[in-house]
Amino acid sequence: MCYGAALLATDDLTLVKRVRSGDQRAFKLLVERYQRKVYAVALGMLKDKEEAMDVSQEAFVKVYKYLDHFKGDASFYTWLYRITSNICIDVLRKRRGGGEQVEFDESQDMDLSEARIGALGSRLGTNPQKSALRKELAEKIQEALATVPEKHRAILLLREIEGMSYEDLARTLDIPKGTVMSRLFHARAKVQKILSDYLELDEAKSGVGSE
Amino acid sequence: MAGNPACERFVPLLSPYIDGELAPSERVHVERHLAACRDCTGRSADLRAESGLLRVGLDMAVDDVDFKDFAQKVMARVTPEKPPLIERMRLALSEMFLYQRTAMLSSMATAAVVMLVALPLLLRDGAPEGYAAERMTVKSIQSYQGARVAPVVMETEGGASIIWMVDEQEQAPEPVKNAPAGVSGPPKKLDEAASEELGGELDGQGTQQPAVPAVPPRPTGGAL
Repeated sequence: MCYGAALLATDDLTLVKRVRSGDQRAFKLLVERYQRKVYAVALGMLKDKEEAMDVSQEAFVKVYKYLDHFKGDASFYTWLYRITSNICIDVLRKRRGGGEQVEFDESQDMDLSEARIGALGSRLGTNPQKSALRKELAEKIQEALATVPEKHRAILLLREIEGMSYEDLARTLDIPKGTVMSRLFHARAKVQKILSDYLELDEAKSGVGSE
Repeated sequence: MAGNPACERFVPLLSPYIDGELAPSERVHVERHLAACRDCTGRSADLRAESGLLRVGLDMAVDDVDFKDFAQKVMARVTPEKPPLIERMRLALSEMFLYQRTAMLSSMATAAVVMLVALPLLLRDGAPEGYAAERMTVKSIQSYQGARVAPVVMETEGGASIIWMVDEQEQAPEPVKNAPAGVSGPPKKLDEAASEELGGELDGQGTQQPAVPAVPPRPTGGAL
């Protein structure tokens, strides 16, 4: 097995050790391994492609710069995503002039009765033939995500894109596991309502009850 | 929240349920409820659809992006070409003057004040001045031309100095001064010639013998 192929199969922590010992190629591999996901998180958070690209690069540069601070007691990617989501939150704060965004009142339950229960599931299901609808709704996703408070958005994106466990999410964002569960629930409810409303509107326009 | 009061308890659990994050006992409870509640079954289907949609949506958005140069751009930022040391120092200084002028000026002013205070303190030991200095040294003793006495300096074991004035005309020498080491204060006037050069504590160091005989011709007297 050649050196490059061997590195490709190497786990994150070993690559980090190599970077620390001056192996630049190991860092390039880490970048290539996570660039898409880091960009997806940044895009989901910021909604702006160019800004997301800048933030993704900045996240990796920061990771390299502070690699000595990485203790290795958590996964490399949880650390990387924490840096990414923190940069995104900073960018969003600057965007709105430093003010704090109004958070959900998590003590109050989301009213799901207005949303059409089962609308998303019944129209999308798991049928790949409905890709046209998926594409259409996927574009709507960005809009729906933008309505979710940034801290909730970060959790939702890390869960959906990276498939992080609640334990990892709690560690990455430095919050209790119960908060992860609660924020994820509220974020999903919010996105779901927007998508369901959109579907309802779409149905009313097309005059179709259901597919 | 929902028609079925039991749903209020189970709706918040649906999100961790589809994520596989529930404890086995909770999972069993949720599955029992789902088997009996069409609304919650619909809700969990919605959650799964939404989850899939988010992944698909972001995947599609990322697919549109060309990552060919991404890693190279990052690498270029983390390993920039290093200019020569002098050039880097010049750049660093010019940047400091450009962006941190106030901080630089205040630092320089502070440094100047510190130097002004510290330098005299540091140099004080090397060049004591005045009779109040802690340690003083006899530099030289000499008599004026035509004097009838010549000074002779001797040192005791304790570091004190004895200065004899030897009468060149074989008169009995007149004891003049004994200043023990560590005693501050002006030495007593020996005579006009000797007092000119005595500057402080008489510890014998640096004593310069004048052009008189190393051994007085006949020291006939003296006192400490």
